[in-house]
Amino acid sequence: MRFIRFFLKRLVHSLFVIWGVVTVVFFLRFLTPGDPTTALVSPDAGQDVRDALREELRLDEPIYIQYFEYLTDLMVGDFGNSMDVLDRPVTEWIFSAYLIRSVELALAATFVAVVIAIPLGVISARRRHQPADYSATLFSLFGISTPNFWLGIMLIIIVAVPVGFIPTGNPGPLFYQALGDAVTQGNFGGLWDWLRHIFLPAITLGTYFTALITRLTRSGMLEEIGKPYVKACHAKGLPETLTLYKHVLRNTLIPIITILGLQLGTLIGGAIVTEVVFEWNGLGQLLIDRISSRDWTMIQGIIIVIGVSFVVINTIVDILYAYLDPQVIDQ
Amino acid sequence: MISDRVKASLKREFKTSRMAQLGLILVLLVIIVATFAPFFALHDPTEQRIGTGDGVDDDDAGVIGDNGVEEDDDDDIDPGDIDDADEADEAESTDRTDVPPLSPIPGHQFVGETEEIQRVDHEDGTFDIEIVETEVNADRAFPLGTNTVGQDIYSRIVYGARISMLVGILGAGLAALVGVPYGLAAGYFGGRLDDGLMRGADVMLAFPSLVLAIALVGVFRDSGFHTTQLPDPFVLAAQSDTVPNVLIPRADHVAAMPESITFPVTVTLVVALVNWVWFARIARGEAISIRTEEYVKAARSLGASHTRILRQHVLPNAITPIIVLATIQVAFIILLEAALSFLGFSGTNLTWGADVESGRGDLATSWWISTMPGIAIVIAVIGVNLIGDWLRDALDPGIEGESGGM
Amino acid sequence: MEPLLRVEDLTTRFFTEEGQVNAVEKVSFDVAGGDVFGIVGESGSGKSVTALSLVDLVDSPGRVTDGSVWFRQPEMAERIAEDQPEAVDGEMVDLQQLNSRERRALRGSEFALIFQDPMSSFNPSITVGEQVAEAVEVQKRAKANPRALRSRTQGFGLGKFLTTSMVPTVDYVSDEAHARAVELLDTVGIPDPAARATEYPHQFSGGMLQRAMIAQALATETSVLIADEPTTALDVTIQAQVLQTLAEIQDEHDMTTVLITHNLGVIARMCDQVGVMYAGEFVERGTLEDLFERPTHPYTEGLLGSSPSLDAASQRLQPIEGNVPSLFDEEMDNRCYFADRCPKAMHECLTKPETYDASGSESHSARCYLATQEYDSADALPEGYFDD
Ligand SMILES: Nc1ncnc2c1ncn2[C@@H]1O[C@H](COP(=O)(O)OP(=O)(O)OP(=O)(O)O)[C@@H](O)[C@H]1O
Ligand code: SF4
Ligand SMILES: [Mg+2]
Repeated sequence: MRFIRFFLKRLVHSLFVIWGVVTVVFFLRFLTPGDPTTALVSPDAGQDVRDALREELRLDEPIYIQYFEYLTDLMVGDFGNSMDVLDRPVTEWIFSAYLIRSVELALAATFVAVVIAIPLGVISARRRHQPADYSATLFSLFGISTPNFWLGIMLIIIVAVPVGFIPTGNPGPLFYQALGDAVTQGNFGGLWDWLRHIFLPAITLGTYFTALITRLTRSGMLEEIGKPYVKACHAKGLPETLTLYKHVLRNTLIPIITILGLQLGTLIGGAIVTEVVFEWNGLGQLLIDRISSRDWTMIQGIIIVIGVSFVVINTIVDILYAYLDPQVIDQ
Repeated sequence: MISDRVKASLKREFKTSRMAQLGLILVLLVIIVATFAPFFALHDPTEQRIGTGDGVDDDDAGVIGDNGVEEDDDDDIDPGDIDDADEADEAESTDRTDVPPLSPIPGHQFVGETEEIQRVDHEDGTFDIEIVETEVNADRAFPLGTNTVGQDIYSRIVYGARISMLVGILGAGLAALVGVPYGLAAGYFGGRLDDGLMRGADVMLAFPSLVLAIALVGVFRDSGFHTTQLPDPFVLAAQSDTVPNVLIPRADHVAAMPESITFPVTVTLVVALVNWVWFARIARGEAISIRTEEYVKAARSLGASHTRILRQHVLPNAITPIIVLATIQVAFIILLEAALSFLGFSGTNLTWGADVESGRGDLATSWWISTMPGIAIVIAVIGVNLIGDWLRDALDPGIEGESGGM
Repeated sequence: MEPLLRVEDLTTRFFTEEGQVNAVEKVSFDVAGGDVFGIVGESGSGKSVTALSLVDLVDSPGRVTDGSVWFRQPEMAERIAEDQPEAVDGEMVDLQQLNSRERRALRGSEFALIFQDPMSSFNPSITVGEQVAEAVEVQKRAKANPRALRSRTQGFGLGKFLTTSMVPTVDYVSDEAHARAVELLDTVGIPDPAARATEYPHQFSGGMLQRAMIAQALATETSVLIADEPTTALDVTIQAQVLQTLAEIQDEHDMTTVLITHNLGVIARMCDQVGVMYAGEFVERGTLEDLFERPTHPYTEGLLGSSPSLDAASQRLQPIEGNVPSLFDEEMDNRCYFADRCPKAMHECLTKPETYDASGSESHSARCYLATQEYDSADALPEGYFDD
């Protein structure tokens, strides 16, 4: 019951934030100086072409009408048409391989980060002030201080160029397709191809997170180990690993989950840059492209999709947090 | 504003922590280099050296190859696969006019010739323009090599430090200037105001910083103030007749440096705009915890105004975590600025991020073009992060991991 | 008959950056099976560190540097004698000479602890029932397979942790252990134990949580219970109830107990023997009567206050004027540590007294010259001797 109340409250809040995101994004465009059609039509196009475009984009109506229409359109999943390629709806652009590729990359990076960082953080905390700890600390210092576009480039120079079989441009097959091939036809070439392609981008994108989680796990574990309940666990005679994982590590990771939710923005931002470096045709690269051509409906659509996913994930994280840390609901 | 206890704690931590000392050294190094860029630079960072294509190329391409590029390639790259393509590249590049004769691997002993345009003044006041062949020791003249248009990478890194540090410090400062009062007001007054303000902040937090920054740059770049020219006082002084040249070391050298640098105004505003929320969050938390303290209530009952209480009691208590956050934010904004300029949104290309981008086309052959500026970024950010760690360990403001999100 | 627990010259030090702290200094006492040994002393005198030293739970930078903890356990003695004959004396084993695995295996199976602050002694994100059940489970496994208890992981490594986090049906704690935990919660007087077992520590009151901790200690069916100020963190009214529970349980199970407390009433009611701690040392030790009827050390007299009678002893310890002594090695002079606060300090007290037998039972001893001689006011140190 208490949980449901918490859940509903959190949901209402998220809906409000999503509305805020949409509103901010909508009005952003009206801050741009000049006629939005200027960038879209060739300089020698006549006034009639422009007017037709203005009409099409409903630019001549009062702003609140435009806003209202935009909102109502959004509710039914209509983001408008791309200004650049007018006959193609924004949703068709976004909800396609672009989005899937971005999600794949983000998940792969998160996977890399979690798999490496948590054991590293635990080792670092348990071997405090030993060489393993110093190496992990140094690694995480570099990890959070290295711009990932440069890291990607370094990986290309150091790994891809000498090795040869790791591609550095354009993405490979989509994971689900590759997996389908493997399952239905026993053809693992696709999966290998996918792995080959995503390997460097995932490391590039995952490094910052790996470093961050390592750091947080280490300091969190050290703080947690000093708490009296750990001594109580020892006094009960619990196996050391049980105390370490079930009690200490679990309590360390709970607050880290929220921090990671907030830091998801870093992952998305990093994904944009990583996509550019590896010519990974994802949402980030699409955004950069569209910004260059001032395709505002597309820009708005992409940012809204990113913002909304961010909100949704953070809502899930908060609810998960409440589930894991029973004190949250009562606060 | 900062108590003796805090100072003592800072000092103690600094003395025992090697990392803190290293951080301070790195940051001071970057700041000094950035400030006195014209003195540290070896060349005008914007000066291009375009090869003439004859003579120099034949001899020197060979020299480069024998000593460096080709050898390295043979070692590292699987000959069967890549060699052919590589040779084709090489052949093509000798023909391309934009490939300079001087794109040496840094640190390689290489003596070559270049042609420079020089102005020769005559006694009667007239002058001639002459093309002079000068000998260049690449090792010393271009310690980190040049990029594809022959600009000295080392000098560009020196100048890039200016943009990074300026944007980092100004951006974090502006963000604090907006975020701290916002958060203090929300936390101190609480209630409806707090709800409203923090809802707004939550909406801001829903945008990943880089995404918002890109969108904002997209909005503002068409306005007039995308970039501005910042005159370089050292260069102007060295050029002017009123300042005696003896006051400026190596005045001739300094005078030949760019008179101004292009400063990315939009980017600075944008990074502040996407990061002020973090300051608001911290300031709010502090204000809430201080609001209920007895002495604040007492001050209030004695008739002190809200602004007075905020300034005299709340702000000083909140200052420690804010300083720590500001430090972390500087590191973060340097990275953000680098990403923006890497993506080409900065409006100036004399920055580290843009320089990394400029070498992307030639990674297999001229790895140093992208590598060197990146190392500069890492050094600067590590320095600031180490200082952040030092402050955090010494002051313990409890904001681990809440630094912000790109 | 040999005692169940014999502590000899137990010495624990903290090697901190600021210097060496002599937290426990040559503490010796015996506890017979089923007896309650009480430890009293003011804050910072080293009571908790003594308790932790007994079970090898002193954290770095602290270390037990000297002394032995003899524990009667015939089976163990037999097993240990094969490899470490020097650590065994008849049926007694010197725990200090055992490796850390053996010592860990003893916690939960032979020794249980109750801590001062129940709120911080429970993991906030795991239900109380589960935490009590963990203690039951340890005991259960110990019985089933005593060897496995000495393993560091008992099969619960990272892989197992991941499985248990993802597959709800796999767990370290068995269903029987959960059921037993509910019974135990009932035993210690928690109403509606089945429902409360599924609640989290922050949903419990301090008193209830301390009961849960007692249940947890009971779960282990241990031979020795060490209770470190089990009621100090509670409200006065709750204190009485919880103590009542503790006393009943001690009676019922005839548990050998080391009880640390500030409360003279508790001492009078529960303890058979008492040790008085000051500056890391036992300054007086003896039976309940020895201390209440024949206090020898002026510090004990001070604690008991003006009416040192067993019947009147329902009050808390009397505070004693003066400063708590520093335990930093370099600041400790070689004199009676209590001399600066002692109303009967004499010139010889400037040399450190030994522990002398005092009148009364054979276990009565005091680290004070007054155990061997009468107070002589002519020999007294002038007033303000230590003020400088
Ligand atoms: N981790 C530690 N590091 C350094 N010194 C310590 C540490 N733990 C305890 N001490 C020292 O040991 C001494 C004894 O502490 P202890 O906790 O045993 O006191 P206590 O008698 O239990 O007091 P209280 O009644 O307040 O619980 C203290 O003076 C303290 O300075
Ligand atoms: S030895 Fe002396 S100073 Fe110490 S308690 Fe006894 S009488 Fe007092
Ligand atoms: Mg204690």
